[in-house]
Amino acid sequence: MIAPGNEASAKRRPTKVNVRILRQDGPGLPAYWERHQVDYEPDMNVISVLQKVAAQAKTSDGLKVAPVAWDCGCLEEVCGSCTMVINGRVRQSCSALVDRLLEDDANEIELRPMTKFPVIRDLCIDRSRLFRSLERVKAWVPVDGYYDMGPGPRISREEQEQNYPLSQCMSCGCCLDACPQFTKIEIQRQPAETEADYTTRKNASFDDGFIGAHAISQAMLFNAHPVGKIMARERLDALTSAGGVQDCGNAQNCVAVCPKEIPLTTSIARAGRAATVYAIKKIFDR
Amino acid sequence: MGSNRVLVVGGGLAGLAATMKLAELGVAVDLLSLTPVKRSHSVCAQGGINSVSDMTRQEGDDEWKHFDDTIYGGDFLQNQPPVKEMTYWAPKVIDLMDRLGVTFNRTPEGFIDRRRFGGTLYKRTAFAGATTGQQLLYALDEQVRRRESEGLVKKYEFWDFLGPILDDNGRCVGATAQDMVTMQIRDFPADAVVVATGGNGLIYGRSTMSVFCTGSAASRCFQVGARMGNPEFIQVHPTAIPGADKLRLMSESARGEGGRVWVPRKANDSRYPKVIPENERYYFLEERFPKYGNLVPRDIATREIFNICVNEGLSVDPLRMSVYLDLTHIPRAELDRKLGGILEIYEKFQGVDPREEPMKIFPAVHYSMGGLWVNYEANADGGLLPGSPKNQATSVPGLYAIGECDYQYHGANRLGANSLLSCIFSGLFTGPGIVNWIKGNRVASDLPKSLYEKAVAVQEARHKKLLSNTAGDENPYLIHQELGDIMTRAATVVRDNKQLSESYAKICQLSDRASKCGLSDTGSWTNQNVIFTKAVQDMFPVAKCILKGALQRDESRGAHFKPAFSMPNLTATEPVAKRAEAEGWCDAFEANNKKFLKSTVCTWNGNEPDISYEDIDTRLLPPRPRLYGLVGAEVIEQVWKERSAVIAAKNPQSGKKQLTGTT
Amino acid sequence: MSSPADPAPSQTFLQKNDFLIRRLHSLSGLIPVGAYMCVHLITNASLVGGVSVFQNNVFSIHSLPLLPVIEWSFIFLPLIFHAVAGIWIARSGKSNLQQYRWVGNRRYTWQRITGYIAFLFIFTHVFHLHGWFHNEWWLKTIAEPMGMAKFRPYNAVSSLASAMTGIAWPIFYAIGVLACTFHLANGIWTAGITWGVWLTPKSQRRASIACALFGLFIGSAGLSSLVAVKTTDAMEAAKIENAMYDARIHAHTITPDDHKRSDGHAVEKPKSELVK
Ligand SMILES: Cc1cc2nc3c(=O)[nH]c(=O)nc-3n(C[C@H](O)[C@H](O)[C@H](O)COP(=O)(O)OP(=O)(O)OC[C@H]3O[C@@H](n4cnc5c(N)ncnc54)[C@H](O)[C@@H]3O)c2cc1C
Ligand code: HEM
Ligand code: HEM
Ligand code: SF4
Ligand code: F3S
Ligand code: FES
Repeated sequence: MIAPGNEASAKRRPTKVNVRILRQDGPGLPAYWERHQVDYEPDMNVISVLQKVAAQAKTSDGLKVAPVAWDCGCLEEVCGSCTMVINGRVRQSCSALVDRLLEDDANEIELRPMTKFPVIRDLCIDRSRLFRSLERVKAWVPVDGYYDMGPGPRISREEQEQNYPLSQCMSCGCCLDACPQFTKIEIQRQPAETEADYTTRKNASFDDGFIGAHAISQAMLFNAHPVGKIMARERLDALTSAGGVQDCGNAQNCVAVCPKEIPLTTSIARAGRAATVYAIKKIFDR
Repeated sequence: MGSNRVLVVGGGLAGLAATMKLAELGVAVDLLSLTPVKRSHSVCAQGGINSVSDMTRQEGDDEWKHFDDTIYGGDFLQNQPPVKEMTYWAPKVIDLMDRLGVTFNRTPEGFIDRRRFGGTLYKRTAFAGATTGQQLLYALDEQVRRRESEGLVKKYEFWDFLGPILDDNGRCVGATAQDMVTMQIRDFPADAVVVATGGNGLIYGRSTMSVFCTGSAASRCFQVGARMGNPEFIQVHPTAIPGADKLRLMSESARGEGGRVWVPRKANDSRYPKVIPENERYYFLEERFPKYGNLVPRDIATREIFNICVNEGLSVDPLRMSVYLDLTHIPRAELDRKLGGILEIYEKFQGVDPREEPMKIFPAVHYSMGGLWVNYEANADGGLLPGSPKNQATSVPGLYAIGECDYQYHGANRLGANSLLSCIFSGLFTGPGIVNWIKGNRVASDLPKSLYEKAVAVQEARHKKLLSNTAGDENPYLIHQELGDIMTRAATVVRDNKQLSESYAKICQLSDRASKCGLSDTGSWTNQNVIFTKAVQDMFPVAKCILKGALQRDESRGAHFKPAFSMPNLTATEPVAKRAEAEGWCDAFEANNKKFLKSTVCTWNGNEPDISYEDIDTRLLPPRPRLYGLVGAEVIEQVWKERSAVIAAKNPQSGKKQLTGTT
Repeated sequence: MSSPADPAPSQTFLQKNDFLIRRLHSLSGLIPVGAYMCVHLITNASLVGGVSVFQNNVFSIHSLPLLPVIEWSFIFLPLIFHAVAGIWIARSGKSNLQQYRWVGNRRYTWQRITGYIAFLFIFTHVFHLHGWFHNEWWLKTIAEPMGMAKFRPYNAVSSLASAMTGIAWPIFYAIGVLACTFHLANGIWTAGITWGVWLTPKSQRRASIACALFGLFIGSAGLSSLVAVKTTDAMEAAKIENAMYDARIHAHTITPDDHKRSDGHAVEKPKSELVK
């Protein structure tokens, strides 16, 4: 339901928006640039530009092409679906407002898929590695079960205020795409391979790669929970295995691009401290 | 012999709750979703989740009152046993979420903090900032990931559910689905299928919902025989920010935390809102509903705002209808702590700081109270019988529906913060019932392969036909836009029979056109075009249900408002005449209930929905006029109270609590 | 399903010991390598105080017993480990400074660039002055003919000054010193995060300022010694050095060692022996 009419503004508005999109028809295929032009509307974001691109399915030269593929969901920056590289910076496309982007460059908006994840098609990428990292650090509270056992542990307001920001991580992967220490791992399924074998092989190579700021932060979140703590050592084991927290080179791009402004570098430092203590303890507790 | 498997379709709160409960009960689950489950629409929920708490209890609250508020809020259109069970479970649901690590806001002493929501006088709503749905969903997502790593759950993300597979006896024994990356269509044999696929806001083009909320999955169940209940009841949320691609919600929690809705008393007052003095502001909700104020239920708030803008011409913006939602009197730190999430949304998308300047908001399509019709089995107390395979069962044996896509809990209007509750509750509660259902049946994986191959072949044929469509070149995106426009005009806040029937005819034509979509992408790799086209085509059966249901329901109830068939306002001023008028009003009310206090039940005849009506189970709470202390309507409540007292005296066993409602 | 914490059998030695190697790398950068650099640059800066002060310091360093053992175990080996691991680490990342021009990212990238510069610098520098190995054959047939192994501890200033003639070497040293200084100062800051000393953005900002001040101090110490070398008269210095040498021999605080003296003096017998 929407009321008619739109906000008038004194600003001069263009009538068309040009977009340059890096397309790729499938994994392993060459990428190529394509230009599209859509009608300008006030209050547009990149998603509405892409919706128009999909609806017209024609380049700015009038060539009929398959619509550009991309992912989106909530359109209000909470679901993490719509991450892409816009004008050179990784971010959510739903909150990328066209007016703001045109202030940077009035001629064109440039859209590219995320750079650290395998491209599925056009702007769609495969982020399964990101979710695998969450499994690696056992990002959950190991409750006994889901029967009624009364309330959870008492949690102070301070703890809640420290944990809440971390629990807002929407697994968008911005922090990974911008991290110079996080490099792309692309595994192709081999013809004779079963789904299960492929998944195992894929996970094994993911597990050797850098785990990434988001998972480090989640590990800290659950290690701070009175019950989540039970698995603190297992999480630290994961954080100090290959590709663990030690692979962070403190570039701090992660915290700068995180759309949820999660204090990732604090989590990383905390993980560093916990890992130090844990490693020393491990030597003396043996 | 194969082992048991259950297919859960949809990984929002409901689907995840069901999955983790089933896994706990030792059942293997395949979990299918359009998107990684962590991105399901439930992340959008902002305001909170309801339950009675130790604190409200001491203020006189109890589960029964939560039940009463829910039924009254829903204008008595719900079967009461499921609602009773849900409200009595609510505190346990919150406790479980608490144990799972949900970062609920805390009181200084460390208890879960609560806020007030619409349609109640108690502070029942637990919340985690203004991102409660996100926090709840993540907690469940984490548990399911845990079960996945243990091997009991297998996720299929980026898969589109194409429909249930029925055996020759009409029992659901699995489903077909399509991989949205490889476009492969395959069967998922299952001993039970649970659909938890959420709402259908996309039928309206733009709404407060995510793009996944096409309703296509429920429609596909409907088209093979599942019944649909109360489809015409669509909640239009009073406070959202209009946008080009989406109408972004400003949660009811803004009002729960003290936000006030107002317009300048003078039309076209172009002054900056902060300089308009108090006495020149019209706090219309507070003035008309002094008892509930800004927290009247959503249908009422929406109609009031709509009325202020459309009929009284008091919109605060000449170009875009809107009223002020004002938080500027609340301290910044408190706003950030309790409402940060939504204020950031407003700031990001409107470029205005709502802590400094009142927000401009307008109603938007938000929630579908109706959905797949589901059954229940009541126990002696009028709650549900735990473990009954009938609970949440659709009219297709073996096919279950939970969460927003069922019709069960919210009647004619949902109360804020009750949906997250109904989703988690129905997900958890249905587990044991499904286990019992499975026990009595042959294992699906032992059924003849041909049954499944046939189902896959049907879907493949549909897919191929779409890709090679030569019949026309209708653009699915434009069809969707047209559908949204028609539905928004005809079936939102105010409904009119002439417009409804014209729209129905238009929709039928549009539906024919939708079958002639020409695709701009005919490839077989991540073809979003064809997935979207199928979803659009499948919106039509549901859209038809909504329009036809609305057309046939000649009354006003909850979110369904037909001025032509509304109860009249009282006009008399002299006490005796007023009293007589109120008596007449109550007679009319009773007569109307006899006719329309019924669930709309739709079945699909292949082309159109057939509508029948089903009595409502009001065994616990007799219906009463829903006035929320409206100024000028006190006498109606008086008359009704007296009538009820007479009935109660006649048969004392019929619920001693019937008058303890909060009117 | 194997628990993610168990190292898979296919993992290489480096992968299995990733954490340990990184932590040793960090540690080796701080102590002994970082600590050595501080002492070294401050010692060098004592040149500003005059030839005798510096020569005195060198004498006391060279009076340490088993100097080669100390050099190898506390300086060269840790440095080589840090350098090799550092290059391995630097190659594992991929700078994206073009895209994200934020301070943190600049620092990250410069930590790598200065690491590479430090590598080249120290490699050359130690060859230039120290000659790498103090093996007779190596020095006489390779290092010295190449114009390397210039430093003579017992003629510290004069030999240094002659090594620094011209403009190329001083510039090379200036760049080296600046690179190493940035690398150490920023390295201390990152190490503080690595080990979890400073946690929050606020404390990291404070630490950042402290590290910058530290870098300024060390850097100017390094540069001042270069200035001092360039403004010292080698002939005058040699006279003082020789006098000091004689005095030390006389006092038996050092033993004669021609390798540690400039060629011109190698043939001269210490005065003390002449007296005998
Ligand atoms: C903006 C907003 C705010 C809200 N705030 C509140 C609140 O504060 N309190 C409250 O109680 N309620 C709130 N609600 C309502 C509540 O969020 C929803 O009713 C609830 O989240 C629905 O959950 P669900 O599990 O039923 O479905 P969803 O969360 O919508 O999940 C549906 C799932 O089904 C999958 N799916 C759908 N179609 C298919 C298909 N064809 N094939 C395969 N998978 C499919 C999706 O991928 C998804 O995983 C809000 C709603 C909105 C829009
Ligand atoms: C102002 C610039 C510098 C000057 C004048 C200088 C001078 C010297 C001299 C004279 C020596 C020879 C010592 C000997 O052979 O006994 C030496 C050795 C050495 N220098 Fe420097 N140095 C400088 C900067 C640096 C820097 C920045 C580093 C980096 C860490 C460094 C690392 C070393 C090492 C590792 C050795 C060999 C160690 C040893 O001989 O015991 N130097 N330097
Ligand atoms: C010789 C060549 C050198 C190379 C190739 C090199 C390389 C590196 C690299 C790549 C890092 C970053 C590691 C990370 O962030 O994970 C680093 C860190 C560091 N280096 Fe070096 N370095 C060299 C010499 C030195 C020297 C001479 C010093 C001391 C003066 C030094 C001190 C440090 C310190 C303190 C750190 C910080 C460690 C941490 O962040 O935990 N390095 N080095
Ligand atoms: S930490 Fe931030 S950037 Fe990274 S995945 Fe989470 S929300 Fe995205
Ligand atoms: S950007 Fe990468 S290097 Fe570390 S500080 Fe952030 S994870
Ligand atoms: S669409 Fe959900 S984050 Fe952008």
